[in-house]
Amino acid sequence: MVNYELTPLMNNDIPNEITSFLTKDLTNYVIIKDGHIIAKSLEEDFNKVYIDSYEHAIPDKINVFLDSEFVNEYNDDAYTYNIENVNSGLLIHIPKNQVITKTLHVFYIQESIDLVNNTRIILEDNSEFKYFEYLYNVNPSSVNFVSNSIVRENAKLDYSGISKLNEKALFSITRNSYVSRYGQSNYSVAEVNDSNTDSKTNIYLNEKYASGTTKTVAITSNHQEARFTQLVEHLAPETEGYIENYGVSNHNSVLVFEGIGKINKYMKRSIARQSNKGIVLSKNARLDANPLLLIDEFDVEASHGAAIGKIDDDQLYYLMSRGLTLKTAERLIINGFLSPVLKKLTTDELKEDFVLSVENKTQ
Amino acid sequence: MSTLIIKNLHAEVEEKEILKGVNLEIKGGETHAIMGPNGTGKSTLASVIMGHPKYTVTQGEILLDGKNVLEMAVDERARAGLFLGMQNPAEVPGVTNSDFIKTAINSRMEEGKSVSLFKFIRDYDKAVTELKMSEDLPHRYLNEGFSGGEKKRNEILQMKMLKPKLAILDEIDSGLDVDALKIVGENITKMKNKDLGLLLITHYQRLLDYIKADRVHVMMKGQIVKSGDYSIIERIDAEGYDWIKDELGIDDVRVIVEEEEERVVLGVCATKEALDL
Repeated sequence: MVNYELTPLMNNDIPNEITSFLTKDLTNYVIIKDGHIIAKSLEEDFNKVYIDSYEHAIPDKINVFLDSEFVNEYNDDAYTYNIENVNSGLLIHIPKNQVITKTLHVFYIQESIDLVNNTRIILEDNSEFKYFEYLYNVNPSSVNFVSNSIVRENAKLDYSGISKLNEKALFSITRNSYVSRYGQSNYSVAEVNDSNTDSKTNIYLNEKYASGTTKTVAITSNHQEARFTQLVEHLAPETEGYIENYGVSNHNSVLVFEGIGKINKYMKRSIARQSNKGIVLSKNARLDANPLLLIDEFDVEASHGAAIGKIDDDQLYYLMSRGLTLKTAERLIINGFLSPVLKKLTTDELKEDFVLSVENKTQ
Repeated sequence: MSTLIIKNLHAEVEEKEILKGVNLEIKGGETHAIMGPNGTGKSTLASVIMGHPKYTVTQGEILLDGKNVLEMAVDERARAGLFLGMQNPAEVPGVTNSDFIKTAINSRMEEGKSVSLFKFIRDYDKAVTELKMSEDLPHRYLNEGFSGGEKKRNEILQMKMLKPKLAILDEIDSGLDVDALKIVGENITKMKNKDLGLLLITHYQRLLDYIKADRVHVMMKGQIVKSGDYSIIERIDAEGYDWIKDELGIDDVRVIVEEEEERVVLGVCATKEALDL
């Protein structure tokens, strides 16, 4: 972190859309608005977990987060801008051998600043942690969101999220994960933004037997342009990486998936797999999938595939032959298509929010 | 009681005429069977009644209780009481069987109303047990990864749940082993009542051992060429179709001549590169 400056908070209000999620079913959450934690509710399962914003980071912990290992050197403009202008962020530290089965929900809200967020999640050896994030903006702004996860030996991270920025936002997001020996890092995110979006998920398999999965569900509508890049880089032998993309593009929007499985030389017996599926709903919409395999080693397993088209006519006919209207049938097929991420959502309110967002964008 | 009337029905696919004047009347409570060799238009007839977009009706009419079926969209036909048990039902990943049937039942109810969850689960479980299907069926995705036999049983399960007025079962016996055929046959027989009209399409008499048909029709060259009672089946079973062909002086019974499919080589990009494709 080069520079960290917090803007004073205007008020403590939680937007109505976010309040509607805070039911009794939603346990363990943190709400962070313009860089300040405005609400926090955690059960005792999280007693040993350190969760706080940068301003409150206790001095002997701050070094755990701010050491330059991995995360401060990265050749990317949006990322460089981020670490030079951070004004929001969360530090999450899971100590050694802590297995937490419940999910931590973090709501990031933009209200009165251009949000530059940098969240860091560190899982020490043999720990397990489930993280969910919800990104939301109130006012027109640019949002630059970065999260870095460091998954140490035999640790397991489940990372899920919904990002729902409106068309008045400009959105750049980078999620990095650095995985050690026997570590597992699983990302599944739903991108239902209306904003122009540049999203990157990078998983670095740094040591032997590390594995990583990234699943992205994305829907674009109106004149939106969105690009999603997923990289899994195999930096050690016997590592496994999986990339799955599910996209729906509607109206005049453009959706691009770039999936990159990269196996470096000497990284023998590694596995890189990738699949891209897409539905194009209108004749002016565009959906590109560019699956890439960059392989510099012989002894590996790798595969990629892409299937993009309109909604399957046979499926539609079949559902309609049972009495479903065209609209209901289409909705059912699209929701089914996007189910890999829907399954990850913990409460009915979040599921409903996702389904409604999909419906709004696919009309 | 419902009545389905088909009058002088002509239909074509890709400008090739398949149905060449079909006439048929099915009343509630009756069971009809259509038999005939491959490629004579039996399945086309089923698809045209249901409204498959691939086929164009050029002449004739289909009436269900006096209403013009040909003017209805596929889903309207279903809600009017038609049901087609398909030969190759589509697979829909991500949509569970129970969600699908629940949505289908709700589509038949007034706007804003929905089926009671308790009643639905009870009926569904009962149907699953009667068809001897696996208990995890409600949570499995619609037809995805189903064996041929499971797909067919799933069609019958849907028919049980949706309670149509007129059901067409297109080769529901193909892909079923003897035990499964017996289960399916018994379940269909149990559903028979004075209101349900049934149309069975089949190659073999096997299915008709389990479900008694009141009328039997033989289809050739896109027309029904012979109708009668069960004795026709017995004769077909013993002698095949040749006696009918001789009787009518037909040589080639087919209207659909399967063209040899063009071979497509599927491979990874590397093979394509190697083969310089």
